Amino acid sequence: MTKVVIVNGDGRTLSALMGPTGAEHRRLANKVMTDALARAELTFDEISYVVATGYGRINVPFADRQITELTCHAKGIASLFPGVRTAIDIGGQDAKGLKIKNGKLVDFVMNDRCAAGTGRFLDVLVGTLGLRIDELGEISLQATQRLPISNVCTVFAQMEIMAWLSQGTPLPDIVAGLHDAIANRVVKMVKKLKIEPEVVFTGGVAKNIGVVRALQDHLGLSVSVPPEPLLTGALGAALMGREMALKALAEGKPIHEKELRLTEATFFKTEQDGS
Amino acid sequence: MFVMGIDIGSGTSKGVILKDGKPVAYHLLPSGVNYKAVSEKLREEILAKAGLSPADIADTIATGQGAGNVAFSSHDVPDILSCARGVASVFPSVRTIIDVQRTFTQVIRLNATGQVINFIINEKCATGSGCFLDIISHVLQIDLKDAGPLSLGSDNPVVFTTGCAVFGESEAISRVSEGASREDILAGVHQALASKISTLIDRVGLEMDCAMSGGGALNVGLVDSVEKKLGFRLLAPGQPQFINAIGAALMAESEA
Repeated sequence: MTKVVIVNGDGRTLSALMGPTGAEHRRLANKVMTDALARAELTFDEISYVVATGYGRINVPFADRQITELTCHAKGIASLFPGVRTAIDIGGQDAKGLKIKNGKLVDFVMNDRCAAGTGRFLDVLVGTLGLRIDELGEISLQATQRLPISNVCTVFAQMEIMAWLSQGTPLPDIVAGLHDAIANRVVKMVKKLKIEPEVVFTGGVAKNIGVVRALQDHLGLSVSVPPEPLLTGALGAALMGREMALKALAEGKPIHEKELRLTEATFFKTEQDGS
Repeated sequence: MFVMGIDIGSGTSKGVILKDGKPVAYHLLPSGVNYKAVSEKLREEILAKAGLSPADIADTIATGQGAGNVAFSSHDVPDILSCARGVASVFPSVRTIIDVQRTFTQVIRLNATGQVINFIINEKCATGSGCFLDIISHVLQIDLKDAGPLSLGSDNPVVFTTGCAVFGESEAISRVSEGASREDILAGVHQALASKISTLIDRVGLEMDCAMSGGGALNVGLVDSVEKKLGFRLLAPGQPQFINAIGAALMAESEA
């Protein structure tokens, strides 16, 4: 997903929304930006500074600056939860643990090498179960037990699930087992950082109440989830942009190093042309 | 005297009937998820093939992942042991076996008398096993049995940046959309598998001769990639996917 957050000079959010990134949309960050501007009743010229973050940050030609998602996530999360010391982010392609002190990122761990322990694990297995990703959380709350399911390999977990299904095992117990597997795997990774409260959980998987509860059980701590857990990276990017613009103004320097226009990325076209 | 070996694998189930040490019938079925049912069907069909009744079989030994579900066997043995027995019966000089199954790949070390002295299984990740190839064959919409011959036509194998079969699937899809050929993608998968197999061999220690068995040994592209990676030719039994069932049947014969 592509997310846009617009903040004003006080750091207050004026507009926040998401659009698909997908193969066809990844060069269309400008479309999501246009929608976000419309919602805030602003034009692009009124935006002082644009920071792009995330895996596709290079595909945003109208950004003043690119900043890594780890830095932006830490910033965004700390703005919502000033007492945060540990953040756990589980997205569709990776899972991260962030150690945050005084609002700044001080250390992190990450898994982007294995689908188990990321949202992809649930994406694949929800298909095996014939369910929708957004109904997993509710379903898991009806479980009477958490079945043991492999947390080391998505493919192995898929085979285990098919065996459970063939035995007529209730779906909630299987789903609860999946949530337990992903929570177990991620907590093992994040424990490499010294986990201290307050713990904040973000990323698309944080919308799943079953994973939130499983994480709390494995951590032995309560976990805070922002109302929009997918938007913390974009929020952090907006807040970084605000600071940079204010700093330039205070020093009497020009805000923009280059002139920016709200266009789509040409990156892919160039690649296809071979030029 | 007739004996039976039954191998309930994660992908397919195999049965073999031996008469005085020589195979008289082979049979293979997809394992599905109900191992007990498939074992009953396998027995029924292989007995029909051999023209025998259950009473003609002196002993049956089961092996493989689902061996515990076989109700008609006298007992079951780990597939490490049935594989070693089966391969050693064909190639007594073999000291290292690469057994490439659907879910697991294992490397087994034997001593001069054919006893297992060490082994390693890639039980943590599907990338080193037939699963990865299954997934990619599905993406490319080809039959698994065509993957080997097709890959030999590659002149520019795709290098996978991920070590994960699930992320590898996404990578294959994007490479296809960028115009990579099926041949190059398949050759890339075989090279990834060969690397993983080579790592397993390093960990368990290589001693010659080396053989490859299991369904993976039927894939000429995989055998070619593994041979290139290791730098020597592999021995390959004629019926590599039946080797564990043969080994189990030979054990039954020794005990009967």
